[in-house]
Amino acid sequence: MSDSRLLLHARAAGRAFLLPLSELREVVPGAPVAPIPSGPPGIQGVVLHHGEFLPVLDWGVVGGDPDHAAPPTVLAVLRPRLGLPLEGVAGTVEAPEGGLNDSPAEDAWRPILAGLCQLEDQELPVLDADRLLALLHRLRKAR
Amino acid sequence: MDPSFDDVWAECEDLFVQARQRLASLKSPQPPHVVQASVNALFRTTHTLKGMAGMLGFPRFSQAAHRMEDIFDLMRQGRLRSTDSLIETLEVGIQALESGLAELRRGRPEPEDYLHAIRRQLGELEALARPSEGAVLDLTGLLDLPPDLLKALSEYERTRVTAVLLAGMPIQGVSVRLDLATFDERLRSISEAAGAQGELISTLPLEMHDDRDGLFFLLLVATPALEAEGLGTLPEENLEVMALADPDRVPASLKADPGPLVSPKPAQAASNPPVALPQDAEVLRLPAQRVDALEARLMAVAQVRDSASLALREVQDPGLARPMAMMGEIEAGLLEVQKALLQMRMVKVESLFQRIEPMVKALSRDMGKPVRLSFQGGDLELERSLLGRLAEPFLHLVRNALDHGLESPAERVAQGKAETGSLRISASQRGQNLRFDLRDDGRGFDLARIEARGIAMGLLKEGEVHSAEDLHRLALEPGFSTKERASQISGRGVGMDVVRAEVEGMGGDIQISSEPRLGSLVRLSLPLSRAVIACLKVRCGQQTFGVPLNHVLRVQSSLAPVHGGGRIEVLGRDLPMESLQACLGLPEPAGQQFFVVLRQQGAAAEAGLDLALGVDEVAGRVELLLRSLPELAHTPGIMGGSLQEDGVLWVLDPEAVMGLAMDSLMKRVADV
Repeated sequence: MSDSRLLLHARAAGRAFLLPLSELREVVPGAPVAPIPSGPPGIQGVVLHHGEFLPVLDWGVVGGDPDHAAPPTVLAVLRPRLGLPLEGVAGTVEAPEGGLNDSPAEDAWRPILAGLCQLEDQELPVLDADRLLALLHRLRKAR
Repeated sequence: MDPSFDDVWAECEDLFVQARQRLASLKSPQPPHVVQASVNALFRTTHTLKGMAGMLGFPRFSQAAHRMEDIFDLMRQGRLRSTDSLIETLEVGIQALESGLAELRRGRPEPEDYLHAIRRQLGELEALARPSEGAVLDLTGLLDLPPDLLKALSEYERTRVTAVLLAGMPIQGVSVRLDLATFDERLRSISEAAGAQGELISTLPLEMHDDRDGLFFLLLVATPALEAEGLGTLPEENLEVMALADPDRVPASLKADPGPLVSPKPAQAASNPPVALPQDAEVLRLPAQRVDALEARLMAVAQVRDSASLALREVQDPGLARPMAMMGEIEAGLLEVQKALLQMRMVKVESLFQRIEPMVKALSRDMGKPVRLSFQGGDLELERSLLGRLAEPFLHLVRNALDHGLESPAERVAQGKAETGSLRISASQRGQNLRFDLRDDGRGFDLARIEARGIAMGLLKEGEVHSAEDLHRLALEPGFSTKERASQISGRGVGMDVVRAEVEGMGGDIQISSEPRLGSLVRLSLPLSRAVIACLKVRCGQQTFGVPLNHVLRVQSSLAPVHGGGRIEVLGRDLPMESLQACLGLPEPAGQQFFVVLRQQGAAAEAGLDLALGVDEVAGRVELLLRSLPELAHTPGIMGGSLQEDGVLWVLDPEAVMGLAMDSLMKRVADV
């Protein structure tokens, strides 16, 4: 029997994607984001979460599609304390460990993806939190 | 160690904390009855310690505590008077007992005599206690002013208040509200007019909790009566004259024998105002987890309040003005409770300095190396848990500085240095870190010797060039010591590597640097997660910022707008001006008329960098619960933020802003 893992099936920046539950701390209701004047690239601001400031990702940094994006309703809090604004959560799905397909080279999200996961009739991108953080660090260094 | 005695150990630790505080309070001017109360409390403390040591089975500790108890008994009977040298000796004694207790708790055997270092002084105490160095007197408590304002009085001002009241002269107060644009000129004029009617003792800035604009000041004038018309104030300046202190309230016994006015040392003057410690204050010992849980619950409540406030605002119903105002009151209340909880965890850096001072004095005496010790930044706060962990590394660093750093007086004179060495310990808040600098003006690190030792230990390769930075860092490596034989002073099995490990264990770091024959600097940086911080509130465009007050030298205005890159005159000096917007990369305004003059913390006027920061508006003073920004949100120039009714107020990192301003000014020059 092969190992499987649970993934959060969510939507953000006009796109459906999967996020391993092991990388998720919690999902909380969305709150107004306080922008930081001249804040770092890729971070739209902070929200107060458990008494501390939580940085919130700006999907624009990975080529989010603002034209097709709905206003975020919830915030997925990653384990390394980064908030991902989500337009909605469809639920969780179980997928086999590994066995991901490569994402196309032209996919703007490619630098933050672990790959594509085949789920019955559709192929969904799987977000890699480590790659996302590495991208944010690179952007800040390059500033 | 028997865990059933945990409470006894903990209570002993509390007693030492109280003893140190009371001894420190004796070094400041105090009314005789307060001095007496402190000595009584110290007598009871040592008596209790004696009993507890007996209970724990440490007879020698009990004997030593008994000896200290005898000294306090002599003091409270008036047979020994409180003098600097007496207090210093008692501090060393209490420190010796405290260190001894810590050693016992680690399972070490009892020493022969805990108080061996001050045996001679204890015997000589009566001879050393000269009447001219007797109890000090401070009558500022007779001023009809709130405690915060009393704390703001300088040592000189305290002395003058006391002296004029003893001389039978009343003290009057003059409060005025001055326009921000002209306040410096107006204040000078009113001060001169007040000075013509009596002795102008002080000009205190006032914090007013009302809607009136402007800056408020209170002038303290020693005179039988003030003629308001003669002060030349304008109607809109809201002049008020009040009687602040009546010499008739000075107790007759003090008038008959006021006792000499002894000025305490500068280190205590700013941060250690006389405090009458309550005689029987109940101390509650709480597990830290309970405070953690309470704090977390409070945060959750604050978040619900934020959501409720947001929901109310979205309704946009004029009838909700009152509920909105009530939300503001809840916010203010929550902030107070959060601050109180934070304060429970925090302790002033001064507590650390209080531990160091007696040790330095004792070492200086024992080693025959006179040293001028100075402290700065004692008012800053750090978490109590960090204080306990910092004490031992600090004591080692201080011992190192005296033992290895400072030369003997003869050696110093031969080198053209002052006979008395200097050891300066300063604390400052740098961004999200609390920084400690220990500077001595000794011989510096012997880099040649460190290199030779490094090669001998196989840590360095012979023939390679090693930078001074590398060699300094080597001194922090485990097991590294250039002393072939450990000295009695610093060789206690605690090396610089242990200091480094302890500091790094707190999430901080340590750096050392030195210049041959000029001195050494050891710098410790420790992270702060949260703090209560006093700020000047300024506005730029739609955004409000807080500027930590400890970096603000002055607020100034100009009649004509000044552009970033211009210069303005401040107290006769021509200073560069840069707009805050330019520093933060925000759209620049056409010109600004308000300037916050920043100074590097701890910098002397002649050596430090001063810079005028242009802002659109100065909105007053505010005290904030500062939350630091997580690493992913780090932003140059901003150290953190505080949640306010109208959003987050960003608190500037003054040091970083000064750096950004200089970069911006250089860029302007380069672009010309």
